Amino acid sequence: MSWLDDFLAAREIWQVPLAASVIAGALLGFLGVYVVLRRTVFVSAALTQIATVGLVAGLFMEEHVHAEAEHAHHQLAIAMGFAVAGALALGALRSRRLPAEAIVGAAWVAASAAVVLGVSRLVHAAHDLGGMVFGNAVAVPVEELWIIAGVAVLCAVVHVAFAKEIAFVSFDPETARALGVRVWLWDAAFSFTIGLAIPAAARALGALPVFAFLTLPASAALLLRLRFRAAILVAAAFGVVAAAAGYVISWFGETPTGATMVAVAVLFLVPGAFRRVARG
Amino acid sequence: MIPAQPAAAPGQGLGAPAGAAPLVALRGAAIGYGGLALLPGIDLAVAPGDFLAIVGPNGGGKTTLLRTLLGSLPVVSGRREQARPVRIGYVPQRDQVDAIWPLTAGEVVLMGRAHAIGPLRRPGPADRAAAAAALRRVGIEELSGRFYGELSGGQRQRTLIARALAAEPELLAVDEPTNGMDPAAELSTMDVLRDLHGGNGGLAVVMVSHRLDAVANYARALAFVDKEKRLFQVGPLAEMLRPEALSALYGRAVTVREEGGRRYVHPVAGGGAP
Repeated sequence: MSWLDDFLAAREIWQVPLAASVIAGALLGFLGVYVVLRRTVFVSAALTQIATVGLVAGLFMEEHVHAEAEHAHHQLAIAMGFAVAGALALGALRSRRLPAEAIVGAAWVAASAAVVLGVSRLVHAAHDLGGMVFGNAVAVPVEELWIIAGVAVLCAVVHVAFAKEIAFVSFDPETARALGVRVWLWDAAFSFTIGLAIPAAARALGALPVFAFLTLPASAALLLRLRFRAAILVAAAFGVVAAAAGYVISWFGETPTGATMVAVAVLFLVPGAFRRVARG
Repeated sequence: MIPAQPAAAPGQGLGAPAGAAPLVALRGAAIGYGGLALLPGIDLAVAPGDFLAIVGPNGGGKTTLLRTLLGSLPVVSGRREQARPVRIGYVPQRDQVDAIWPLTAGEVVLMGRAHAIGPLRRPGPADRAAAAAALRRVGIEELSGRFYGELSGGQRQRTLIARALAAEPELLAVDEPTNGMDPAAELSTMDVLRDLHGGNGGLAVVMVSHRLDAVANYARALAFVDKEKRLFQVGPLAEMLRPEALSALYGRAVTVREEGGRRYVHPVAGGGAP
């Protein structure tokens, strides 16, 4: 099979992006169950925009106090720092009086305005801000593979160690608070993982796959009426399969990689949707 | 403002055995959010064995009072006293618990053990036994494996009560437990609360409700709360169920009658402010 031989012979090209995509699929898949159930599916848009604010601030500092912000690692560190801070702020702002999506939407629009205002104050306005925040799943530097792998391990450790606390404060913060559970602490732990995962994955794969992996595998798993823990495992598995299959299909079909991954992830919604229709 | 009436002599609860030290108390407290006092001058103590119902109109500050009593909200001024750590079981309003979560009734109840288990530890056999016992006490043991979101309103309410019981509480706080229930489910839920209170030698129950009918046959003491009228009154049930007291709370004539051993509380049709 010459096509398979050709594919394997080219592994130097695809092995790093494929590995990064698979790890991001698993990571965002399991985090997505919380994101969907907490009704904050636009959190990736808000946090990447907050990360962009950080990069604009970095460029501003570079122009005015000659602080280093050109290097990719510095940019990613700034993006992750701002995204973690933004996620912690969003978690702290959870309110009895406002739905979660209103707070996420407000954060996105405020950050978007801040980016426009910040860019207008930069002397060198031609910076490719999008390229600093969003990568491309076709070509992922090996350093970014290690970063996303490290982030995935850290997030998994936090979520395994504190699973019952994070689940309780996400499901019913009012009761958790009344029982003496430190809701702010476990909300912060969750926000910390989201704030790390989203910019790391966005830098490696781009905006579209990140949003998709954070919503579609989780939605597909939840439509299957699985129990909570099973839904987390299945969502992670869906994320892995969507990333791997999407990458391979895009390789052979010469289609845009990120969009192909998303298209595969959409297919996972079909069984659950049929099941819903069949049940009336 | 109608003057605050202490429930009992300071240091005592309502209907509690004489001399019983209160579990929690508010002393000269103002309740509210974000430093803004909605209702000042509250003196209220809850002791073992109390069954206190906090009643008043929607938006009157009942839940704010309950949360302040439990310590979830800080007092704006005055003091909240709690002499020792008190195990609290809390039953939130049913519509605050998001039914899209794919958690079984058993898993929801097990959450009541979270604080007892502590971080970095998994629920053990004793925790599972406590959760199973709590489900059994509210009569829904067979629903343990069913998704919470697929239960009826009454079954969900029992699940939330069971979760509160799984914490092995000394004080059970219940927020609007009969909201949106049909009369049969309402009676059934109130019977569960009465049995828990009566059958547990000292379990204190504090319940928020805007349904006077629902609490008039169960509570031993009532607190009236209406922040719009700057009203807070508390006292034994017989004293508080007087028509004139109820009329002051609701701003219209209210009648109380007894029939077949049950009390019925009704606003008078066409009855204006007294």
